[in-house]
Amino acid sequence: MRKLLMAPALLAAALAGAATRLVQDQCGPFTDVTPQICPFVLEMYYLGITAGTSPTTYSPDNPVTRGQAAVFVSKGVDQALARSSRRAALGQWWEPSSEAALGMTSVGSGLLAAAASDGADVWVTDYDNGTVSRVRASDGRLLETWTGADHGGAVLVAMGRVFVAGATQPGKLYMLDPSQPAGAVTTVASNLGDLPSWIAFDGARTWTANSGAYVTLSTVSIVEPAASTPWSVTTVGPYSNQEIQGIAFDGTNMWLSHFGGSDLLRLDANGGVLQSVPLGAYPRQAVFDGANLWVPLLPTNSQGGSLAVVSVATGNVLATLTGNGLDNPIAAAFDGARVLVSNYPASVSIWRAADLSALGTVAMTSGTSRPCSDGVSFWLPRSDGRLARF
Amino acid sequence: MKLSPAPFPRFPRRIGLGLGAVLAAVLAGGATRIVQDQCGPFTDVTPQICPYVLEMYYLGITAGTSPTTFSPDATVTRGQAAVFVSKGVNQAIARSSRRAALGQWWTTSSFTWSQGLGVTPLPDTLGPVISDGADLWVGGSTSLFRVRASDGKLVDTGTTTGSLLSAMGRIFVGGGTATGALFMIDPSGPASAAVNVAPLPPFPGSLAFDGNLIWTANNQSGSVSIVTPSPTTPWAVTTVTAGLQAPVAVVFDGHNVWVSDLGACAIRRLDATGAVIQTVVVGSSQCIVGTPVFDGANLLVPTGDALSVVRAADGALVATVPIATAAARLAFDGERILVESDGGGQNAPRGLTLLRAADFAVLRTESFIGIGGPSVGGLASDGLNFWVTFRTGNGDVLARY
Repeated sequence: MRKLLMAPALLAAALAGAATRLVQDQCGPFTDVTPQICPFVLEMYYLGITAGTSPTTYSPDNPVTRGQAAVFVSKGVDQALARSSRRAALGQWWEPSSEAALGMTSVGSGLLAAAASDGADVWVTDYDNGTVSRVRASDGRLLETWTGADHGGAVLVAMGRVFVAGATQPGKLYMLDPSQPAGAVTTVASNLGDLPSWIAFDGARTWTANSGAYVTLSTVSIVEPAASTPWSVTTVGPYSNQEIQGIAFDGTNMWLSHFGGSDLLRLDANGGVLQSVPLGAYPRQAVFDGANLWVPLLPTNSQGGSLAVVSVATGNVLATLTGNGLDNPIAAAFDGARVLVSNYPASVSIWRAADLSALGTVAMTSGTSRPCSDGVSFWLPRSDGRLARF
Repeated sequence: MKLSPAPFPRFPRRIGLGLGAVLAAVLAGGATRIVQDQCGPFTDVTPQICPYVLEMYYLGITAGTSPTTFSPDATVTRGQAAVFVSKGVNQAIARSSRRAALGQWWTTSSFTWSQGLGVTPLPDTLGPVISDGADLWVGGSTSLFRVRASDGKLVDTGTTTGSLLSAMGRIFVGGGTATGALFMIDPSGPASAAVNVAPLPPFPGSLAFDGNLIWTANNQSGSVSIVTPSPTTPWAVTTVTAGLQAPVAVVFDGHNVWVSDLGACAIRRLDATGAVIQTVVVGSSQCIVGTPVFDGANLLVPTGDALSVVRAADGALVATVPIATAAARLAFDGERILVESDGGGQNAPRGLTLLRAADFAVLRTESFIGIGGPSVGGLASDGLNFWVTFRTGNGDVLARY
């Protein structure tokens, strides 16, 4: 009897409620998904990976074509990368588009040559003044400055220390202990090849790529840590009597940017050449993204620039990127999702690392050098003595 | 063509143009453009799905069905789908690690420790270590040390020591004495200012947090204690013993607290009141059940000659990964697992085994051999490095791995 007394409005609400419950029981908007796989299908739907085969069907028993699988996987990877970045947790979904939007730290009076992050602070070298400065990444505050890094350019954070290559003849390797009060750096080796200008680490040894007094005399020095100084140095090369302009480690091999040879060289553990990857242009300092090397290229006519993406698994050139403001590119940095390329004299180009799409370019009023990332921001040393935060 | 000495860096250099170089560049550029118009190397992919196919190709997930075809309309088998998804997940994990952003693609070696690199000497016999995200907290026999992870600097020293937990913006110490107690340290103040917040059974050997409550494993009394935080001390403590024999460690998987029960060679799933609701026997030839770590899907349990992998969702033992010497403790950094082996005896080899968490592949092994030689007191990850308390025989150190 009470049912008969239900007002029309209540009846409508009850029916609507039942309808709502019915849809929820049926896996979001889909009416053809069993409870066993519903959570997984719904995650695909909520993450924007698929909208189903119609507004109400997912068609779980249909086969998947390779094309559809590519959409599923690449959209899934994109979401995983975007959400696991520290930028997501901090709500930093923006891309800087002008110099005015950048944070700036005045570090010194000279040419800032390169930067490296220890996870909390950014270490930046002043080539003209032989100093190494520590800038706090959270707020851009200049914390301290170390001295005595004569002609110090390339910088590396490894083994709880900061290393700087001194581009002298012969070359030097400087070290500082960041847990100690700032002072003069320690020289751990003074017999590197001439003009070491790029630096990398393989888990045990520090490698420098050395310009050489002449372009035909570019070498690589491998420095072995020891309990006391000087550390032992093995210098290898030159490499086909051609100039080198960069070195990068991919987790297994060192790679040399063989500028004069217009190729990339995969090295063995002793600096011997295992593979040459022809690039058709002059390569500079590359960065590794977990699968590929991003190699800034100066065209052989010296006009504009390009960016080669090279698979380290095969050595194949997967793509050669142009445009997006590339102009005499000199070095690249990777933050887990994006690659930033500095162009000499005054701009950067930013790319999405997963699909190689262009994200834009930012013009500068000062020359740029070698950038780094701390996982949240890119940091770009400049020739006006300032460190820019993207 | 030379300058001596060369300016650093040689940014502005532009190279003169030879005819051969021009021709090569034109050819290379032309070839590149043609391929890009056709979806990378593939000639059979429509523009609508080209970006997705190219991302698979650039990430190394697939090379296509031939050098020029992707075969987008061919169906995938479950086996091919597994390759696609696991390679995609691997790339997502590798790139989202903080190590990627800092360019740390290397695997470090304990060799550097003997050179005095990556180590912070600490004047005590060192045991457990935990991370609060920025600093490491290291328990010694009489001191508690706070070390900044970015540079390894010792920033503070306290005197309350025991098992450690970072939770609720505080550091908790399970006082390992015959009169057990839970101490709390406010890290915004000095490390020496520890407050006794709750009485515990003797020797609480392990702490875990479930979002509201702090759990302790008390091996000596065969119990687990559940501590409820409150504005005033002492905090309320509930201690349970039912179904437990020798609980040596507790860990939270996002839903349940699990306890390692050495007496039963098992781990046990507890409900919110501490009642045992599932028991999973782990280990192979040895009855060793160490402190588990949760990796987001599985409980990783050191069980002597193996790492036992238990799926948290249903308690299934999904893998038993052999470890060369007695596996005692481990840490997880989001991508890799570092397992400490104590050798199981004075003369046995001790060491570290580094595994990839996604497939348990061994990445590196390190051995420390010798009676009274180096050994490991504890290990943890801050998401960038592993940190190991390392007893060198010549003073203990906190070492970065």
